[in-house]
This record gives sequence, C-alpha cells and structure tokens, in this order.
Amino acid sequence: MSEMITKEIQDDLDGKFLTFYIGDAIYGIELLHVIEIIQVVAITPVPNVPAYISGIINLRGKIVPVINVRTKFSQPEKEFDDKTCIIVIEIEGMHVGLIVDSVSDVANIENDQLAEPPEFNASASNHYLHSIANVGGRMILNIDCDRFFQSDLIASGSYSR
Amino acid sequence: MGFIDPSMEPMLETFIYETTTLLDQLDEILLESEKSKSISDDSINEIFRIMHTIKGSAAMMGLESISNLAHAVEDVFFIIREDPSRMQSVSEAIFDLVFQASDYFKAEVDALQGDDYSPADPTHMIDELEKLAAIMKGEAAAEPAAPAPAAPEAKPAAAPAASGMQRIRVYFEDGCQMENIRAFMLISQLQDVCEAIESVPDHPENDASVCSEIIKNGLLLCVRPSGSFDDVIKVIETSVNVKSYEVVEEEAAPSAEQQQESGKEAAAEPAAKTAAVQSPAAPSQPKAAKQSLISVNQAKLDQLMDLVGELVTAESMVAGNPDLKGLTLDNFTKSTRELRKLTDELQDVVMSMRMVPLSGTFQKMNRIVRDMSKKLSKEVELETIGGETEVDKTINDAIADPFMHMIRNSMDHAIEPVDVRRSLGKPEVGKITLAAQNAGGEIVITIADDGSGLDTKKILQKAKNNGILVKPEQEYTEKEIAQLIMLPGFSTNDVVTEYSGRGVGMDVVRKNIEKVGGSISVETVANEGTTFTIKIPLTLAIVEGMEISVGGSIFTLPITSITQSFKITDPQQIIRNTDGAEMIMLRGECYPVIRLHEFFGIHTDVTELTEGIVIQIESDHKSACIFADELIGEQQVVVKPFPVFLSHYDIKGCGLSGCTILGDGNISLILDANNLIRAYEG
Repeated sequence: MSEMITKEIQDDLDGKFLTFYIGDAIYGIELLHVIEIIQVVAITPVPNVPAYISGIINLRGKIVPVINVRTKFSQPEKEFDDKTCIIVIEIEGMHVGLIVDSVSDVANIENDQLAEPPEFNASASNHYLHSIANVGGRMILNIDCDRFFQSDLIASGSYSR
Repeated sequence: MGFIDPSMEPMLETFIYETTTLLDQLDEILLESEKSKSISDDSINEIFRIMHTIKGSAAMMGLESISNLAHAVEDVFFIIREDPSRMQSVSEAIFDLVFQASDYFKAEVDALQGDDYSPADPTHMIDELEKLAAIMKGEAAAEPAAPAPAAPEAKPAAAPAASGMQRIRVYFEDGCQMENIRAFMLISQLQDVCEAIESVPDHPENDASVCSEIIKNGLLLCVRPSGSFDDVIKVIETSVNVKSYEVVEEEAAPSAEQQQESGKEAAAEPAAKTAAVQSPAAPSQPKAAKQSLISVNQAKLDQLMDLVGELVTAESMVAGNPDLKGLTLDNFTKSTRELRKLTDELQDVVMSMRMVPLSGTFQKMNRIVRDMSKKLSKEVELETIGGETEVDKTINDAIADPFMHMIRNSMDHAIEPVDVRRSLGKPEVGKITLAAQNAGGEIVITIADDGSGLDTKKILQKAKNNGILVKPEQEYTEKEIAQLIMLPGFSTNDVVTEYSGRGVGMDVVRKNIEKVGGSISVETVANEGTTFTIKIPLTLAIVEGMEISVGGSIFTLPITSITQSFKITDPQQIIRNTDGAEMIMLRGECYPVIRLHEFFGIHTDVTELTEGIVIQIESDHKSACIFADELIGEQQVVVKPFPVFLSHYDIKGCGLSGCTILGDGNISLILDANNLIRAYEG
C-alpha cells in the first residue's frame, strides 16, 4: 500500500525540476530531492572543510550544512541579497542546504526536451551536469545530485557505516 | 538482512528488543539461582516461559536455529518443572548449558542487527540438552520406586524412558464399565510377554476411583518386552474392549503432566509430594518490584529532546524579543516567568527519561565474573554498589565494553589462584568491587580488586622498551608508573574485543571512556589490589559552558576545562619563542597562547592581547591559554553533533566537539580543550 503511494508521489514528481539562478545561468534540480526553500539565515562557518561548504545553519533546531553553489561551480563570490535563497535538499537521508542566487520556478521537463551536456567543455560546472533542457526557449542546466555531492558523500557515507 | 523474510522486517526490531529483554531476565534468574544453589518453582516456570516465548517468536521470524535451541531448553525445563528433584545431580551442567544457550541467543540477536546474517549452528548445544534431558528422565526412572504411597505419580512419570522400555497408551471402549478391572486384566495378559511392566495408574484394580482417569487419559503402560514388541501389540489388539492404543514416543513429559494432574484429582488424600529443590527455608526474596514501564523508541526520545531544546530557544526569543524593549509589561513578564518555569521543568523531565540505571551493565559483569571464575578456576566474588545510579543511555551503552575489559583483566591478571591467596593469608575468595556514585555533575565508578596489584617494575621496563617514557626512568613515581598502562603504545592490542583478556589494551579502554567525555585513573598497592577510578559526565547532551566571543562568532567552552580567565595588564608577561609563537608566564610556568581568531581564521578587531581576555584551559595533563575577545557568560547548552554530511571532514581534530543552538537561534561551536591543544601543537 505504502509502496503504491510512494510510487504515485514519485510519478508526480518525475520530470519536475526546481530551477534557480546562478548569475545568468538557470540550473535545475530534481524536485524529488527538494525539501524546502528558505531565506538566508546566519551561517556559522566550520573549520577544516572545503571552501564551498559555507558552514552550518540552524533549521528549526536541526543543524544543516550549507554549500555555496557559486563556489562549488568556481564562480566569483557574490554578496547575499534579499533574493538569495537556501534550497534544502535531501540526499542519502541527510539534509543539505544549497545557497543560490535566486529561485525561479518549477519546470516540467519531458524526456524529449532533454539533451546530453556537451562533452568538450569539461569545466567544473559542466562536470556536475546531468542533462540540458530547452523549455520554452530557456536553457536549463540540470544538476546531477549524485555527482554534485560525490566528493562529500563517498567519505561521509563510509564514515557513518 | 537478506535472511529475514522482507515481510517480517518491520517485526525484527520488536523481536530483537523483546528477546534481548527476555535474555537479560534469564541471566538474572540463572545467576540468582546458581548463587543460592537452588532454583525456586517460580524461576523454573519463568525460564520455561522465557524459552517458550523466544521459541515462538523466533519461529515466527523464520529463525529456525534459535527456535530449535529454545525448544531444547524448554524441554529440559519442562522435565525439571515436573519434578525439580531431577535436576539436582546435573544442575551444574544445566546451568552451564543454559548460559551457553543464552550466549548463543545473544550472539544471534546481535548478528541479526548486522547487514548479512547467517545463523550459527546450535546443534551441539541441542544435542547436549537432549542428553541431559535423557539423563534426567533415566535417572529418575532408575530410582527405586519411592515409598509407595508417598508419590504415586512421581514414579510412573519417571518410568517410561528407562532403557528398553516401550510406552503404550491404551484407551478402552466408551461405556464398557469397570475400566480399572479391565486395565488390570490387560496388564495380567501382558505379563506373559513382558519382562517388566508398569502402568499408570499403578495397580488399577485396587481403586475404582481411577476409572474416570483411565477414561480420560487412557491407560499408560510401560513395558519391557521379553520377546518382540510386536507380541505385546498383538496382545493388546486382541484384548477385549480395547478401543484404541498408541505407542508413545520418547517424550515422557506431556503424559506425565496429565498424569500428575489427574492423579491429584483422583487421589483422595493430597499426595505428599515434596519438590526436593525448593528455595531455602527463607521465603524467596521479593524480586525488584515490577515497575510499570513502556518501551519507547530512542529516536523518539531524541526527537522529543530536540523539540524541548527548540521550545527553550523559542521561549527566550519571545521573552527577550527586541520589539518589547523599553516597554513596561508587568503581566507579560509574569506570564513569561511562568512559561520559563514550565519549560525548565519539561526539560528536566525529558532529560530524566534518557537516564537508565547502571544495574543492567553491572548485571552483565556478574555474568563475566561467573564465566571467568569457571574458566580460570579462581574463586571470585563480585560486589556491586550503587547500581541504581543513573546515566544517559548513550553513556551506559558506551561504557559496558570497557568495564567488561577491566573486569576480565582483574580476573585474569590481578586475582591470584586460590593456593597463592591462601599462602599470602588472603581470603580464598577474591573480591572485585564495582561501585558507582553520583558526585556532583559526574558519576564516579570504581573498579577495585584485592589482587596482586600492578607490577610497577615490570610496567616501567615495558614502557621503556616501547619507548613511551617522556622523562628519566628514576623520576617516575609509583602513581605515574601505574598510569603508564593506559598510554597508547604500551600494549600491543589495539581493539577491545570479547576475547582480548590478555595483553590488556588499557589505552583502548581509556579511549572509549574519553569518547563519552570521561576520564580514568588507576591506583595500585602491591599485594593489596588495584583500583580504577572512572569519572564520566551524567549526560552527554547538556554541558555547562562558558560562552566566549571571537569576532562575530560565539564559542562555548565547557566549564570543566577552564582553570582561570584573566586580562593581561602587562605586555611583559608575553614571551616569544624562536619561531615567534607567543607564550605567557604564569606563576613561574610557561603556557602557549592560542589566539582563537588566528586559529580559526576569524576576523576580529580585538587583536591586542591586552584588549581581549585570556582563558587558561586544561586537558588531560597539558595546559594552555586561549585568547578571545570577551567572555559573554555561563550557560547550560544542549550539545548537538555535527551533521553526518560533514563527518568526512575532520572538524573534531581541530578542537571542536560539537555545536549548540544559542538562545537567539544562532549556532555556537563547542571547543574541546584536548583536541584544541593537540591541534595547536600540530
């Protein structure tokens, strides 16, 4: 029974992407992973972590690490403004926040709108892409969550086990 | 987890919980019984019930091996329940086997929680148990038929299993009347083909009152055929009025039980059957009163605790809301005070829910002492004091292994064999004392033995050989030498395992205790014994901390690691060593100064040592001073671990033990003096 419901929800979320801006580029992340979107709150930096991990935040009593997507994509830093958001996502049972310039909307992307990312440009941001979609003339770069968090997950996964 | 039927997986947790609880009960009963060298009827019934439950639930989970073994134990206790006197001669073997079985169950239950479970083979234990069962039955049968009128039901129940005996249950036709006489006639007929014959009820011809019993249960015959067993069957078959018969297989017990019950009904006078193995004259000790308990998933408790933490935070956000500044709000203040009182109380209750008494862990140690005594043929008595002392569940779980290890060490190395003890004029029975008491915010647990004490010469030699001495050999005091055994590198074993009783590994014990924020020290007197003193915090979750600010960040420093804090008035106190590191002179000793803003790379305007505050902190044996902007104040904080996501990065290694949420919702990092000093030294 519960399996059926889960599947239904999955069907419901399939093909839906939350899109957000980093600079002028639109990125998409599978809605399945997204828990919520919050305003930027005070971030407490922690030592000994890669630069793209900005620190930890207090999400209603829960300590959640946040990643600055700009830094992760090797793009210049930008001051937070009132459009800056933290997208809280769930990956392998853990909550992680992603700092993005602004959140756009939820896009329905059909399979035939998807294209493989170009191979030749092996920049840092391309490496994390899963596909590129053309929705109504907008190019959406879809992030591959597994690859995006790969460097953090390998180690933390093996550690927690 | 592939072994378990997926549909059963939701039940697994309950099964594990239930079985573990039952096994703990079992151990307790066994130890108690073994100690008093007697087993009460209640205990027998209880063990029987426990095994029965485990058998049932294991079978339901499809865990055949567990179920089979439980069944075998159940059988043995079934026999004992029938007639406790039978276990007298084999009681030791029974206790050992049941302990073994209990260990097996525990190991299996543990394994079940792992990723891939495959059942271990309990066949040898089942065989042993069956052998025991056979011995008990056989022995009882071999006993001379007890004084005839005394135990009419004991004998027949016992008889069947004797070698060469066959058991047949015969039912007579309904309403044929005078069943007792017909039974007698049948027995007489059978006497021609049998060497020996016994019946239940015995001598039916003498008492017409047994008729109802025969009608109900049939006539049970135990025969030793003189010729072939088939002859016996033939006689029964041809006998008049016999409705049906069945050859009863080995299992003596069920019929015996029925027999006993019906015997009681039938016998005019109550049978004067005395169970030989009753609890001693004194009425059996009332067991610890049963509390009305419910079991709660620990995750839910954690969640509740989180919620309360948030509530406390939210409350202070409301009460100290900046919008209210400058307003006179008498009624509001009154209400918030009431709210504060309630949240404080709530917090206390939630904290107390996580507390468990140490008695469970102590109980396990009893078991270890018992097993080791047997294995090493040493006589050791374990005295436990203060088992009712409560600690946080997490701590309780973390200290069980180190304790076990230390007790094993004491048993193995410290307590001398009986003859040595005798020649030394010590009591033959060695003694290990396990005592716990609540002292302020800490639990102090001592593990003391009255054994040989540590051999300081040998320790010093070994430490020297292993190159872990930090000052000249002759400068070590006895006390310092004793602490050497807990240094890493002293022992070659580096894992606390169940079987690492030899070669120590005390540094691992120390590490495990330190992991929960505790400390350990040792004192020893040659030939009088060794005492380990362990201090652990009452709870991991709440720390009394001093909040200090550095730039925009707020750190929390546990009060326990602060020696003093002061302002530097005279810049002359600061000395620089050759590589420019700052040191401070305090009462003739030099301490390094750790500038937190530099250490953690935080921007602050306070960079002059004379402007900020210096706090002297102390870890195990080292001391250092840290420099911060200012002290904010003392506060109790709820410790939260760093997110799992970050566990890959060594945050703890650079001097932080966790984080906490402050009253205004911000996060403060908690400093850990040990790691901070270690990290600073590089």
